Amino acid sequence: MDILSNFAMSWMDPWLLSLTALGTLAGIYVGAIPGLSVTMATSILISFTFKWPVNEALALIAGVFVGGVYGGSRTAILLNIPGAPSAIATALEGYPMAKRGEAGEAIGLTTVMSVMGGFIGILALALFAPVISDFAILFQSRDYLLLGLIGILLVGTLSGESFAKGVFSGALGVLIGMVGLDPMTAEGRFTFGSIDLMGGIPYVAAMIGFFGVAEALVQLHQLDLKAVKQKIDRIIPRFRDIKRYFWLAIRTSGIGTIIGALPGTGGDIAALLAYDHAKRSTKNPEVPFGKGAKEGLVAPETANNAAVGGAFIPMLTLGIPGDAVTAVIIGALFIHGLKPGPLMLVETPHLFWFTVGNLTLANIFLLIFGLTGIKVFTKIVECPKAILIPLIIVLSAVGTYAIQNNPVHIYWMLLFGVVGYFMKVYGFQVGPVILGVILGPMMDTNYRRTMIAARGDLGSFLWNLVSHPITLVLTLSLILMILSQTPLKRWVMDYLAKRKEVR
Amino acid sequence: MSNAPSERPAELVFAVIISVFSVVAFWQAYEISGFSSSHSAGVFPMLAAGTMVLSSFIILCKTATSSVPSHRTIEELRLFFRQVLPFRQFAILVLMAAYLFSMPWLGFIVSSGLFLLISFSYLWGKGILATLSVTAASLASIYFIFRVVFQVVLPQGEWFRGLF
Repeated sequence: MDILSNFAMSWMDPWLLSLTALGTLAGIYVGAIPGLSVTMATSILISFTFKWPVNEALALIAGVFVGGVYGGSRTAILLNIPGAPSAIATALEGYPMAKRGEAGEAIGLTTVMSVMGGFIGILALALFAPVISDFAILFQSRDYLLLGLIGILLVGTLSGESFAKGVFSGALGVLIGMVGLDPMTAEGRFTFGSIDLMGGIPYVAAMIGFFGVAEALVQLHQLDLKAVKQKIDRIIPRFRDIKRYFWLAIRTSGIGTIIGALPGTGGDIAALLAYDHAKRSTKNPEVPFGKGAKEGLVAPETANNAAVGGAFIPMLTLGIPGDAVTAVIIGALFIHGLKPGPLMLVETPHLFWFTVGNLTLANIFLLIFGLTGIKVFTKIVECPKAILIPLIIVLSAVGTYAIQNNPVHIYWMLLFGVVGYFMKVYGFQVGPVILGVILGPMMDTNYRRTMIAARGDLGSFLWNLVSHPITLVLTLSLILMILSQTPLKRWVMDYLAKRKEVR
Repeated sequence: MSNAPSERPAELVFAVIISVFSVVAFWQAYEISGFSSSHSAGVFPMLAAGTMVLSSFIILCKTATSSVPSHRTIEELRLFFRQVLPFRQFAILVLMAAYLFSMPWLGFIVSSGLFLLISFSYLWGKGILATLSVTAASLASIYFIFRVVFQVVLPQGEWFRGLF
């Protein structure tokens, strides 16, 4: 009975109910603006709530988190500029749909699937929180290294016309991620003695440059094309579509929940892994991937919203943040006098079910706000490109500046925009660059931790990669992925065939 | 925009540029800590830069063997400025650079206003009144969202300090 009353607390209290609604609405629109990340929105909004009672603060935060993660998909679909890194994969399939005039359908499907993913994440939080957190704590640095390597192999999926070009883009991203002071030894890497470079290059600047400015420059080629009239009569997705993608959505929600629950990995990695899963597991998509396949839209969106519930699991049960947003939330809980972690469930058990109830409520609001207001949003695409392009450039500049109030980041963004434009023109995909920027630093730190644990001995390092059940499973998956994602298998087959012929 | 591989002017030049960049990046990565240990700060940068060198050389070889050699340099340059960097792109790039580099002096509001005004009138080609009103409306909404709602301190500029 206690559980139920705590769960329904924000459903019954009109003030808490409206705060959750307000948070969700704000989250959607903030998340849609490139440069204004969910993390930033949460940290700013949380600063308003320091003097509020804790329940009200949590109600607003849950709404912002859920809405913000979803919001990134809107600009990804309409403008090919992901509002947040977790919407990068969404842009790959959503934007081609918008180019065909199907933005309404894409947003509708995204909304329903996001809500579905969100519910699965919350269900996992409610049912398996203790089990999943026990599992997640078993992950060691070598497992994170393997997870990062599996993630980086997605370049195979994202590379477009040439595998070599995809690999180059991914490695360039890793290199960009390495700039700055080394987090372990504080040695400068590619800093050339400049103080501005010591802090590193924020990946949002790279993301906005490669996606925002580069896309704006590419769009200039089609300035005289009439804007595509968007069909918005079909916003609520067809039942046939939901039925068709149901099992895929369940699987990708599972991926999202688990990745979200791992400390340090959030919706962005979850979405990319889910996209890759969809691409590999879908044999006959209605529309090919990269041209607006709905599977490629469903997978990342279910995964990144399921990762929200997942990220709360280690936060509430262990006090370890699942991603950047939950790290901010943990800070807020401390300010409110709470101790997130195993003790919190003992001392303030009502907060667990209150949070579960809040997230559920926020998901319901997401469905309502997500399916309404699309008309206004699609007007953005119908706006003449001559107005839209300069606006994108200004928004990119202010969005990049807003991250750390550092004008130098704007110059980085401009440089990445120009480089990204030429890369796009010469057939390079920019998705792998961002993948590298996000995964590079994570792989670097975990590789070195694993190597240090092996005392620098390559033999022990390799033994570590197969000596534990979880690690073994990950190593085997990595080998399988290398075989299936790279042209290695084809080269080996060709070589064997040639040898046979010679004989 | 993605042209068919054979239609991309100066693709070979781009492949050479990225190869040179990769080699320089590898040299810089080596400078971090050389091959001193298997877990030094330079290992991963070297791995990344090494991958770039390898892949850029593959791209270079592929481009060199598949590119159409019929064009003369002048013709190639003409095609480059027609297909890859036409005047419109070039003009917006220059405008963008001027906008971003003038921001520390003019401040966000003035430089963005000027950038929007000039690029709208160049790209949109409507009357001055329409251009002015669209500029004002866009600027006002950006200012409201970022400055008022999110309290982002926008760059004020040396010349107009304290004005916005």
